[in-house]
Amino acid sequence: MTERPDPTVSPPLPPGPPAQEFPREATAVADLPTAPTVTAHPMSFTGQSGEYFRIWIVNIALTVVTLGLYLPWARVRQRQYFYGHTWLDGQNFEYTASPLALLRGYLIVGAFFLAYTLATNLQFQGWEVVAGVIGVLFVALYPWLVMKSLRFLAVSTTHRGLRFRHHGRSVGAYTSYGLANVAAVLSGGLALPWAWFMQRRYQVENAAYGSARATFRGDVGDFYVIGLTGLAVAIGGGVLLAVPVIALLVGLGVLGDFDVVGGLPGPGVIAGIAVLYAGLLALYAVAWQYVRAATLRLVLNRVEVGGVVRTQATFSPWRLVWIGVSNTVVQLLTLGLATPWAAVRRTRYVMSGVQVRSIQSLDAFCADFTPEESALGEAATELLDINLGF
Amino acid sequence: MTEPDPAHLTLSGVYFDGRTSRDRAATLEVSGGTLVLRAEGEPETRWETAQLGIDPPIPGIRRVLKFPGGARFETGDDAGVSALEARLGRNRGLGRVRRLESRWGTALGAVALMILFAWGFVAFGLPALARTAATATPDAVLATFDRETVELLEGQNYVGPTRLSAARQAQLQRVFRQVTSRVGGSSPYRLLLRDGNAPDAPFALGANAFALPGGTVVMTDQLVRLARDDRELAGVLAHEAGHVIRRHTLAGVYQGLGLSLLTVAVTGDLVSAGTFAAAVPAALLRNGYSRAAETESDEVAARFLLREYGTTRPLRNLLARLETLDRNADEHSVQGGSRVEDLLQTHPGTAERIRHLRGLEEQARRR
Repeated sequence: MTERPDPTVSPPLPPGPPAQEFPREATAVADLPTAPTVTAHPMSFTGQSGEYFRIWIVNIALTVVTLGLYLPWARVRQRQYFYGHTWLDGQNFEYTASPLALLRGYLIVGAFFLAYTLATNLQFQGWEVVAGVIGVLFVALYPWLVMKSLRFLAVSTTHRGLRFRHHGRSVGAYTSYGLANVAAVLSGGLALPWAWFMQRRYQVENAAYGSARATFRGDVGDFYVIGLTGLAVAIGGGVLLAVPVIALLVGLGVLGDFDVVGGLPGPGVIAGIAVLYAGLLALYAVAWQYVRAATLRLVLNRVEVGGVVRTQATFSPWRLVWIGVSNTVVQLLTLGLATPWAAVRRTRYVMSGVQVRSIQSLDAFCADFTPEESALGEAATELLDINLGF
Repeated sequence: MTEPDPAHLTLSGVYFDGRTSRDRAATLEVSGGTLVLRAEGEPETRWETAQLGIDPPIPGIRRVLKFPGGARFETGDDAGVSALEARLGRNRGLGRVRRLESRWGTALGAVALMILFAWGFVAFGLPALARTAATATPDAVLATFDRETVELLEGQNYVGPTRLSAARQAQLQRVFRQVTSRVGGSSPYRLLLRDGNAPDAPFALGANAFALPGGTVVMTDQLVRLARDDRELAGVLAHEAGHVIRRHTLAGVYQGLGLSLLTVAVTGDLVSAGTFAAAVPAALLRNGYSRAAETESDEVAARFLLREYGTTRPLRNLLARLETLDRNADEHSVQGGSRVEDLLQTHPGTAERIRHLRGLEEQARRR
């Protein structure tokens, strides 16, 4: 079976908002019996928070007891649980990374991170050189690390016995993660949605399932809409929040008694600052979660694999924002113990709103020769919190 | 299904050849060291158990058996695969991990272990590590720290040149030498007298004294004027010398560093809502550490005062005057604050410190 079918056979899926695609597709199929049948396969997630909690806490405890050496095994098991419980068309996904390969990466990245932290905090003799070299190295290697990480993550993901792959190359990585980020900073954020676009396109266009390549049909305008919505949420919320807090402070007449020498500011000021702090924190979370959720939905609605498969997302970004924010609150209140519940809750909601639409059976893909990938990039992205976007 | 004898068992599941995404219903028959795989539409294949790869078990997920060349067999028959695993001696370590994961008892044990560990680390581990690191830090580093801090204080106009007379300065230096020779420690002590209300200062230090890790003690003119006699100032200087001996400042830096590393490790990232939220408990912990340091230094000062003057009253009075900024105040002018207020303060509440110093004096008298 060919992965790139004859373009004349390839069906033009109806454009338009994805939420409306289902009914329209049904009529299209009914009206045009000659058009290829589109089958929708829903994704599902079968993980249980109780079960995952036990895996999570036992693996954290083992990591602590082994002074961190078990960390790669813990991460692999936790990820294997999520991949293994994600089902598509009767088969589950699998995460196949080798913990030993990750351990090597963790040790290298961890050593650099520790050296940098110690140098900048303690400022021992010659610290500028150490911190400078590590800093320059990190900035110079950042796009390369992202590329390595994407490649490793793809090769470590299996479905139906076939590996995913990422064919990303350095040139593309330095354009979308180097140049685009520099442009975003220099333009004062104006080019930020463009950078997101470049990065998602780099991620998707180079992805492949077996030998079937993925294509990205999104355009930069969509990302500007998301960015502006996020900005509007932040500014609007900030104004709504600042007015009552300032009014409260002025009303209490406490702005004047902020006395550094006398030690503590008055309780009114402390309460005001606390409210403002919590509010800004929530606002930041909402705006950021919105951008994340909307981007995820947008990207999933713009991916095509091998010309025969499209992913589709019907979950609501605002509902995902609510889940993200309420998850954070519950996690804070339970001192982190609700983390497994939060992760399962979010994944279950996302997966219940993702479908794969295919004009060809999902069992007709072919393998591609996959060389092993180094885990260094993966370790770097995890330990240094490099955001890959989802 | 599972056979009672693990040497002979038949597993049913799905087969993938590793070249296409096609799934085929299949059975795998194990007898002794041989495996026979029968997949629909495929010729029968035989393997040795030695060629077989068995993925470690993950709760609730089908077991995966891998063959050379990328082929795989997936089955829901966990008991059968576990029996095979046990017979072949595979995945022993992660099999044990899986047993831990499958019980609520061990999970709750792990929770208890984590709480114990976190508490032990924050209460004992981190301070001990910081103290060790501070003791091991070479004197040259401490001297650099002092020099740079003083340069910063003077460069940014936090302090100005002292306005005390030369005679008064010389007298205070004598008191300082007397204090440091009695209190002990090998640091190159140095007393800097400075104006705490310098005209261009970003904010006024006012009546204040503080110790840098290398042995430099800075005392402001305002504090000197607040004191009624030199015994009170000797008490403050002994307190600051105590910070130097115990290397509190440096230990504090290390503790802060450890806490931020810990925060990053726990929340998993550098800048996010989680990290900011974690900053509040971290700041409270930091305060707790510095309260412990204040108490320790008060004890050093108390030992000095009790030996020299037989009482800790001079320091108690000066503390009260610092708190009220009233030259006529004494130790009885300070009332204890609320507990919440105490918790939020960097230093132990003044009332609490005065009580502690009085307690130390009574203790010494009883002996």
